[in-house]
Amino acid sequence: MGKLSLLGPFSAIKFLFRKPKTLRFPFEQKETAARYRGFHLNDWDKCTGCGNCADICPNEAIIMEVHPEIKAVPENGEKNERPKLDYGRCCFCGLCVDICPPGSLSLSRDYLHIHFDPDTFVFTPRDDNADDKAFVPDEQYSILKASLSHRKRDYEGFSSDMDFALFNPDRVEMPEIPPDERKMSFIEQVTGYNQEEAVKEAQRCLECRLCEEACPAHLKISDYIKAIYDGEPAESLRIIYEDNPIPSICGRICMKHCEDACSLRLRGEALSIRWLKRYAADTIKDFKETLEQNPGSYTGKKVAVVGAGPGGLSLAYFLKLMGHDVVVFDELSGGGGIVRVGPPRYRLPEESIDKDVDYIASLGVDFRFNTRIGRDVEFEKLMSEYDAVYIGIGNTVSRSTRVENSEKCLLALDYLEQNKTDRKNIVTEKIIVIGGGNVAMDVARESLRLQNIQHTGKNTVVSMVSLEDWDELPATQEEIDEARDEGIVFNPAWGPKKVILDDFGKVKGLLCMKVKSVFDEEGKFSPTFYEGREMVIEGTMIVEAIGQGPDYSFIPKSLMEKIEFTVRRKLKVDENGMTTLPGVFAGGDIVNINMDAVTAIADAKIASEGINSWMSR
Amino acid sequence: MLKQELETTFDNITIRMEKKNQLELSITKDGIMSVLSFLKNKGYDHLHVISCVDWIDDKQLELVYILSAYMKQDVPGETEQLNILLKTRIGRDDPKYITSIALFPAAEPYEREIHEMFGVDFLGHPRLTPLLLERDYDIPPFRKDFDTKQYVDDVFGSVPSVEGEDKN
Amino acid sequence: MRELELYYGPQHLGMVGNFSLTLQVEGDKILKASANPGYLHRGFEKLMEKRSWIKNFPMVCRINVIEPDSMEMIYSMGVEKLAGIEVPERAHFIRSIFLELARVGSHLFGLWAYANMLGFDTVAQWAMYHRDLVLDLFEELTGGRVYHIYIWPGGVRRDFPEGFKDKIVKTLHTIGGCVPDYDSTFFNNRLFYERACNVGKVSRAEAMEMGGVGQVIRATGMAYDIRKVEPYAAYDRVPWNVPTRKEGDAFSRIWIVRDEMIESVHMIFKLLDEMPEGNVYNRIPNPFKWRIPEGEAYVRCESSRGELGLYMVSDGGKEPYRAHFRTPSYSHGLTVLEKALEGANISDVGNIMMSLYVVAPEIDR
Repeated sequence: MGKLSLLGPFSAIKFLFRKPKTLRFPFEQKETAARYRGFHLNDWDKCTGCGNCADICPNEAIIMEVHPEIKAVPENGEKNERPKLDYGRCCFCGLCVDICPPGSLSLSRDYLHIHFDPDTFVFTPRDDNADDKAFVPDEQYSILKASLSHRKRDYEGFSSDMDFALFNPDRVEMPEIPPDERKMSFIEQVTGYNQEEAVKEAQRCLECRLCEEACPAHLKISDYIKAIYDGEPAESLRIIYEDNPIPSICGRICMKHCEDACSLRLRGEALSIRWLKRYAADTIKDFKETLEQNPGSYTGKKVAVVGAGPGGLSLAYFLKLMGHDVVVFDELSGGGGIVRVGPPRYRLPEESIDKDVDYIASLGVDFRFNTRIGRDVEFEKLMSEYDAVYIGIGNTVSRSTRVENSEKCLLALDYLEQNKTDRKNIVTEKIIVIGGGNVAMDVARESLRLQNIQHTGKNTVVSMVSLEDWDELPATQEEIDEARDEGIVFNPAWGPKKVILDDFGKVKGLLCMKVKSVFDEEGKFSPTFYEGREMVIEGTMIVEAIGQGPDYSFIPKSLMEKIEFTVRRKLKVDENGMTTLPGVFAGGDIVNINMDAVTAIADAKIASEGINSWMSR
Repeated sequence: MLKQELETTFDNITIRMEKKNQLELSITKDGIMSVLSFLKNKGYDHLHVISCVDWIDDKQLELVYILSAYMKQDVPGETEQLNILLKTRIGRDDPKYITSIALFPAAEPYEREIHEMFGVDFLGHPRLTPLLLERDYDIPPFRKDFDTKQYVDDVFGSVPSVEGEDKN
Repeated sequence: MRELELYYGPQHLGMVGNFSLTLQVEGDKILKASANPGYLHRGFEKLMEKRSWIKNFPMVCRINVIEPDSMEMIYSMGVEKLAGIEVPERAHFIRSIFLELARVGSHLFGLWAYANMLGFDTVAQWAMYHRDLVLDLFEELTGGRVYHIYIWPGGVRRDFPEGFKDKIVKTLHTIGGCVPDYDSTFFNNRLFYERACNVGKVSRAEAMEMGGVGQVIRATGMAYDIRKVEPYAAYDRVPWNVPTRKEGDAFSRIWIVRDEMIESVHMIFKLLDEMPEGNVYNRIPNPFKWRIPEGEAYVRCESSRGELGLYMVSDGGKEPYRAHFRTPSYSHGLTVLEKALEGANISDVGNIMMSLYVVAPEIDR
């Protein structure tokens, strides 16, 4: 404390002669800071309409408004909704920016809105580059016109920063057996989440439900994940069973269209929806006890299902719950159809398939395995004895390349099927697999394991040849990466020309041509090759895995003529799943372009309703 | 040390110390005043706040007295700054309690507020007049069964939706 | 002489914020005062019970207009204590620097209010201008001038922008350079001394009894400051002093405000020197699913007006089950003020109230 004075204060007089500090607004303006939290900007190209901003807004200032001019693409997780703000409520906290998964929302440095019409305070923000009327360059900007429709260009303020995002972009890693270890046997590659991991992963879900629209079977994903987060896997399983009765199978081999729509994937990793489903299915040991389901009261109607694949199994389940009698025929010794034959043991063990099939059987569905329609039972008999017939046979015949000497090659499905029996294929030390799809990957990776078992310690090799180049390979990236980790040699963009035989007529190698392009300008499959660029891949065993087709030989010719097909050689069905033969329904790979289990389940759900109303007509 | 003394001096006292610097004491309704004066004599002379929590499922109101020492040097043997949460539960229907103003004059407005917001009657309090609110309420407004939104709807009309929503 | 009842406020030139007093007066002398808060009651604590943990974060700051930052800090501390969230070291330093800047800004506002009320308009204008310079810093760091919405559970919301340290130093030097002017014009002004000395005297015993904290108790010679008593953020990482005085009157309380500003500025310089590199935010769980385990926590920090506490209870749900702010103005504005006004002159009502640093929105919540 200094000396008290009465005259000291007069020293302040000197400030009279200094320049004033006050800004003479509006003639003088102050630039807002680079991080200023002003009006919103929204990049409509990036915005997916997920609605997380509306959910987190503490003042409920944001609603999602439908814009019909935008195309909604559910399979990419894109909705045609965009946020709309009420600036009478907004508190400019910026939580919407920090939660925005695509990072499309940001706040600008503008904060002036002067208008006579209070309705203008309700505002749908858009990106500034798209609208040069509302967003003007600095030199054209006038403070006298300042409003939401007269703002400065390139004036972004508070914007998204991944380090401070409110969502977690990193998934909980799925525990896996390392490549060097797993390639030695058929042990299941992933070991599954434990409870702690599952809850932690489930916690990442933002509940925006984009995934549910992308899923062909529209599972209530958000709800069953929430149940896992709440520590109630039983409840989770019940929710899954409403739309998908084969969770142990789908939890392992689903093509997970949902994860391709997950909003977390945009700037991070998608939620592990498939692995969480697997967690729910694996944690519950006894489905019967947990689900407490009973077949519906008996209706007196009988349905025959041809094929116990994912579609057939689901259909049987849905119809049984409605109270119909269901008999499922399959030529294999167990349920699952293609998923029993195709996916290798390291991806889908038979026990998991049987767990789902056994549960459906426990509801009273009659399974007749080792029964081939057309051989053991006539198709006409089914048509006459049952009220409805469902064909879910899938694609069961492997195609051949038909190049010279290709009859010396093995076919993919036969090869895979035999590996599921006790008499596994005897493999050689050098194997060539032709094809670039998921079945080819399965063949290659199984071959590698068989080599490691049968030729332990020797120098073995599995080479893959595919027409498609790296970026076009039809297999999932996951499969490709895992196959490469295990040491499979890829030869993309090479086409087989001839199988080379040695003097004894045994396979010696494959002559290949370099591919110029796989598809023509219209996108049709029509490969072209470079003349003269050829190479020989050494191999003493070749498996062809270039695609599969259906086998309709069980249907008599007279009936076959009545069945119509689409231009893409698929069975033609109406909106109830019925083919052009009355009372005969179909679904799955023989109907869909998108050939996978979950689409077959979606078909089965539709067909179950269709069959139900057909029979009670 | 304080813990042992409390345990030996008072019956029915439960003591928990799960968080740093925070001692939670629960005691039956009639023990509060004696514990408060015991603590005050020990040197815990700073009453921070009296709070109230409505445990509607248990049909109880919980009164929480939070106190500490102004300076830990004032408390012999005290090494860390301790915040003491002294809690007791009273019935939710027609709740009555006694005032602690005689021990801590600072308690006056807190008790007044709890009376207003939770409806607890503090016997011996000189002015239990409304503190913050202007209207009368059927249910004291901070109780869990007071529905703020319903009240707003009833008194002020409905909360307007975001404009444009109605126009559809 | 006749006894009269005088209604003072809620709108009055001599006070800041809406707050009213009913005074029993005899002539100029106040016999008894009774405080009537509630004009700014917004029911924040009730609102908080209906909002998820993250949605409360932009709201709590609004409880106190003048210094929202300590509200953010106390809420974050409460959540962190309940949920067991760790805060990175750099974030502790940023929090401390940020809170000290807020303290300077708040004290300048308080100085404006006090000086304005006494009629020292020149000083009031200076204080307001210098507060604006601090707000410029906040705008640069957080994007907001008044409500910064910056300290959140797990750390702070953004790191320092490029060159921000230098800007802090520059601004604080600008403000600090004016301390001699402030001193000669206001603090060493004989008129201020005459107006404030021996006015609104609160003894230490009275202050302790009535829950006095902050400048009120520090003006009676007790170095009671939560930053020292129960250190949080980075306050125990650098040396600093708690300014105290002995008189316990309005004059000494305002001088403590001045000394605290200077101490804060020095502390910021030290903190800036010591500040480590590293991340400033540990990610909190997904806000839509975030639940905090059952439990209760009492946390406290030193706001510019004194000790600020938060008692928060979680029942394991997505929202707080109960939150109760113990604000310094609550006891200062209700208990201490009523006591200090007894026997005072009517012309000193604003003087005493402002020197007690009573901020009405904080009382009402």
